[in-house]
Amino acid sequence: MSNAMATSPEKHLTARGFCITSACWMAVATFMGLLGAIELVAPDLTENLGWIVFGRVRPIHVNLVLFGFVTPGLLSAAYYFVPKLLRTRLYSEKLGLVTVITWNLALVAGVATLAAGLSQGREYAELIWPIDMAIVIAFGLIFFNLIMTVKQRNEPLLYVSVWYVLAAALLTGVTFALGNVVWQPDSGALVGIPDAILLWFYGHNIFGLLLTPLSAAVAYYVIPRACRAPLYSHTLSLLGFWSLIVIYTHVGTHHLLQVPVPTWLKVVAIVDSIAMVIPVMAFLINIWYTARGKLGEVHADVGAKFVFTGTIMYFFVSIQGSMMALPQVQRVTHFNNWVVAHAHIGVLGFAGMIALGGLYYVLPRMTGKPLYSRFLADLQYWLVLIGISGFAIVLTIVGLIQGNAWLNGETVYRVLPEIHIYYITRASLGVMIFCGALIGLFNIAKTLLAPSGENA
Amino acid sequence: MYYPYFITYMGIGLAISLAVFYWALNNGQFKDQQRARFLPLADETAPIRIRASRLGRYEIYALFVLAVAGLALSAGVLIFALTRG
Ligand code: HEM
Repeated sequence: MSNAMATSPEKHLTARGFCITSACWMAVATFMGLLGAIELVAPDLTENLGWIVFGRVRPIHVNLVLFGFVTPGLLSAAYYFVPKLLRTRLYSEKLGLVTVITWNLALVAGVATLAAGLSQGREYAELIWPIDMAIVIAFGLIFFNLIMTVKQRNEPLLYVSVWYVLAAALLTGVTFALGNVVWQPDSGALVGIPDAILLWFYGHNIFGLLLTPLSAAVAYYVIPRACRAPLYSHTLSLLGFWSLIVIYTHVGTHHLLQVPVPTWLKVVAIVDSIAMVIPVMAFLINIWYTARGKLGEVHADVGAKFVFTGTIMYFFVSIQGSMMALPQVQRVTHFNNWVVAHAHIGVLGFAGMIALGGLYYVLPRMTGKPLYSRFLADLQYWLVLIGISGFAIVLTIVGLIQGNAWLNGETVYRVLPEIHIYYITRASLGVMIFCGALIGLFNIAKTLLAPSGENA
Repeated sequence: MYYPYFITYMGIGLAISLAVFYWALNNGQFKDQQRARFLPLADETAPIRIRASRLGRYEIYALFVLAVAGLALSAGVLIFALTRG
């Protein structure tokens, strides 16, 4: 780090870039989700508009939520706090900006190609090869920038958040390349059952080795600071980290319990899914004990409030997930809206909430300006929270109706009228979340664009 | 023949993890855990006393109710799935 760098105020350009990336794409992603929900209510709505039929809207929504909204939101906070925790500066803001631009180009190309019907047809791996490569390169750049930051650190100890961020960048880079079978550019797939197994190793790792560690990293940074209390136990946090790395990497086959994959793989997946209670509770106990008696402080900071709520969602989604990995439970819950409820609690309720919390926590600190409106942030919090809680309830009910109908051998078309009303409720809840995204975008853009004050 | 893919896949993950763990062990990353707890607070300015607003307290109750409802729902559904599924 040069002397000039050491004295000049930090601009946190990369963190800002990922911040606005997340806010913008959250609006687009939730709009696509809403559109998809409306299409489930009125399937003929977009009948002659090939590029926005449900089959294309869904992957656009899913990819944008994962890679447009949640991951950049978490990365924005990470680019801010990793150098702070290491008592240094980001190795290269220029490289960071190149990463932000590459990331956004990949997203624009992703939306355009998926809308045009160019898809590799594998869930969470729909994007075509050139875009896959851009994402792999982006993860490579993120890892390189952060590891070089670690190398130039002035703090010898790596705080647990740094561990989580580095692991997420490295393992996702590797997982993404392998899961998208980048050595087969045309199909991006293996053949038959082996492809399903590889895909779900990858698919689950997107939640387990990207969203979860980044979210944990943000929570481990924000909650102690908001509470002005040291972390309850750093040793416990490292135990949680290493057990997550060991266990989460092979639970993917719990998505394939009803598929003819080798039994030993299923057994590994089920046992490890239950064992996930260890890293989950290590994390939650640590965060909740750190915040014990300090909920007032958590509520006083809107960012911390989002993050803390995300940790509660994590409890639900993980306990639910461990149960869902039991074959007996999955007989009812698999292949229906139950899983969609779980997915939304996980990705929006847990990782999305923490991403928003991270953004709101670091935004005033990286810009040196107060948040444009605390009221709007609170409003967004409640819109998203009510939306996601409603999703959880409505989709769980739909899932149970569908699961039981299937078990009883009923035909699909007789069940559809029964669940229609729930789909309407779900779309209305989607309106709340979409409005929340627009409010968030406005609030964040106004904060970023306000006349500059002192930098943090 | 798909074993090679999974063995490679798991092998890469395991190799990276073990190498990093070994580095951490030798680098003293597991020592001085007491100081590590305070790292996020390092550049913290003087503590500002924050009083929870009235609204804030209501929010806590609302969250508590939501959490209890969620737990009850999960338990109910689980019992339903196990007894009727
Ligand atoms: C202990 C932790 C967890 C366990 C054991 C777990 C388990 C499961 C299982 C068994 C399924 C497959 C259900 C089926 O197809 O019948 C599933 C699906 C899913 N999980 Fe989790 N889960 C956990 C946490 C999470 C978290 C934290 C997230 C998000 C950040 C998440 C996101 C998802 C998503 C998006 C799906 C849907 C995949 C699809 O498209 O089919 N899960 N989970």
